[in-house]
Amino acid sequence: MAAGHRHILVVEDDPETAGQLAESLTTSGYEVNVAGNGSDALSLGLSSAYTVITMDRMLPDIDGIEVMRSLREQGIATPVLIISALGEIDDRVRGLRAGGDDYLTKPFSFVELLARVEALARRSDTVIKETVLRVGDLKLDLVSRTASRRGRDINLLPREFQLLEHLVRNAGRVVSRTMLLQHVWDLHFDPTTNIIDVYVGRVRRKVDDSQSYPLIHTVRGVGYCIRAPG
Amino acid sequence: MLGIASVRLAETLRSSTFRLALIAIGLFGAIVLTLFGYVYLSTTSYLRARLDNAVIAEQLALQKTYDREGRAGLIAHIDQRTADEIYQDSVYLLTDSSYRFVAGNLKTWPSDLIDTEAWNFRAPTWKVEPAQRAMLRIVLMTFPNGDHLLLGKNANDLDAYTANIKTAFMLGIALICILATMAGVLVTRRTVGRIEAINATSRAIMQSGLDTRIPLRGTNDEWDQVAENLNSMLDRIEALVEEVKQVTDNVAHDLRTPLTRIRGRLEKALHRGRDNEADQELIADTIANLDGVLRIFSSLTRIAQIESNAQKVIFREVDITEITGETVELYDAAAEENGTHLNFVSSQRVCVIGDRDLIFDAVANLVDNAIKHGRPAGNVAVRVAENSEGAAVISVIDDGPGIPAAEQQNVFKRFYRLERSRHTAGNGLGLSLVAAVARLHNANVELLAGSPGLQVRLVFPTNLNPSSPKEEGETNYTGEQPKHRSTSRAVKLNYLSESKLFVN
Repeated sequence: MAAGHRHILVVEDDPETAGQLAESLTTSGYEVNVAGNGSDALSLGLSSAYTVITMDRMLPDIDGIEVMRSLREQGIATPVLIISALGEIDDRVRGLRAGGDDYLTKPFSFVELLARVEALARRSDTVIKETVLRVGDLKLDLVSRTASRRGRDINLLPREFQLLEHLVRNAGRVVSRTMLLQHVWDLHFDPTTNIIDVYVGRVRRKVDDSQSYPLIHTVRGVGYCIRAPG
Repeated sequence: MLGIASVRLAETLRSSTFRLALIAIGLFGAIVLTLFGYVYLSTTSYLRARLDNAVIAEQLALQKTYDREGRAGLIAHIDQRTADEIYQDSVYLLTDSSYRFVAGNLKTWPSDLIDTEAWNFRAPTWKVEPAQRAMLRIVLMTFPNGDHLLLGKNANDLDAYTANIKTAFMLGIALICILATMAGVLVTRRTVGRIEAINATSRAIMQSGLDTRIPLRGTNDEWDQVAENLNSMLDRIEALVEEVKQVTDNVAHDLRTPLTRIRGRLEKALHRGRDNEADQELIADTIANLDGVLRIFSSLTRIAQIESNAQKVIFREVDITEITGETVELYDAAAEENGTHLNFVSSQRVCVIGDRDLIFDAVANLVDNAIKHGRPAGNVAVRVAENSEGAAVISVIDDGPGIPAAEQQNVFKRFYRLERSRHTAGNGLGLSLVAAVARLHNANVELLAGSPGLQVRLVFPTNLNPSSPKEEGETNYTGEQPKHRSTSRAVKLNYLSESKLFVN
């Protein structure tokens, strides 16, 4: 999934969680360093260039947010994914998504974590201004806001188009329900109902019904992924 | 009985109130004593001065008589005085130079007064005859011819008077001390009694449970007020404990089902041979179950967070017409799937001070409920409008079975689910979240009976529609609403007649 030299700093004080994180990130092709406390995180973060830093909020010495602030003050712009217990979510954490950073609430699934790390890693990549996006035989015209498969137009509501566009822009990668709510609706909470599934379900019917192959795939327990077969 | 009384008394004497009373009595006694002392001293010295003045006046009169009429005139004067009833309490004695009697009502010159200072004006009080213990204020003088004169007035009255004052003072002080101590004991006893009632109730609560209350005496005094406040505090605590217990029971119940399922599945898998495909499915199902469990926790934490965050959230002016429209659009797919006709009606932009995420979540829960629990293939209408008082109102109206009147106060409780919806998806937390969001926005949640169905209304306390610029054009408020707005619409939940609704 991840190409090239991608270096991640995992800041986590619980050795088991840190181990699991490191393992799943390594499997996904990242090179991982682990810091067990805030000061290690600071010195590591300052000494080498990372693509993304995942940071537990509750560290034995410093608040993860403070570590992040110190790094920023020293000119380190690496995107940070703060991992926080739900009860610790305050305005500072909520503000992360408005900036270039992100947060994830505990407990989380590794697929969701990977999806968010991927999204953050892409932040530094250059975004090519495209007017047409394609996945398989699906074509999205970003100027006329229309979608079509094999030349046949798909009738989408504006919000449905936005959702499809977000999936297509992240083609091949998992997009979680929370991420969809965040990017398509600009809502920053974790949905407690299955409403996103129902909504995506309708988009999927419009996109995939009576086609030779499905494009939108459900990733159980996490979210969705759009990809062409093969 | 006696035992109890003596315990009571011992407690009374030990009590800090009684100690305070004793200090007060001591201070008061000291002040009274000083006052009495002052009155006593000034009274006696005044009386003595008056007596002395009378003696001096008489002495001057005698001196004049002597100067004018000589010795014979003086003797005549003295004889006249001693014969007079009015001068009964006066003593006169005129002697020659060797202290031999010349005239007067005293026969002999007291031996201890011989050769004393002739003008001994402030002569010591002198006892005339020890047997009578009569006290005199006297003046001695010697005339140019060598005659000696002793002139005095009976001071017995003064003596008796001062003695009387002393006795009265002593009695008074004793009485005051006794009465004050008794009053102290009584007051303390009363205090100790009331405190003991509170103590007894506290002990009973610690031993058995929260159902005991402090008895009121109906006097409406400060003790009754304390008792009343403590009682209402206990009521609140009892309600909270009951709620916590209920929630705990419900959490336990709601968790047991998925956890039992997970356990069973894993156990079966353990005894079965490894089968990649079946294992895959089992793991996926288990994760889905665990996600359900975690979702319950997330919902609870989220509600708790909303409830506790009352002052911290930064509110902004948000357009609820837009938010509600977006929610309805999001639920359009779900409504379509259910065959429900979901429509959104709003003719104007309505703004409130609030949090977009929270309002979205609350409206989403209401719409979700209306779709899930309304009539299958029924109608759900969502409206945003201002009511006649200018308050912003979001209404979600369905034509389903409604909520029985008896159930209405329960549906906002955490995990509460109506019997008939027990088997539909959901965890019974949706309306709790709506209630928490409403409370944070100082809004009311009203349940109204439709015909048929249910209308749920979120009535916001203030409307900041720019078309009616009563409110200043501030876009940034912190959680507190302007005072004059929020006082009239205190946070409460109104439950109006028959209706329906459950929780997602």
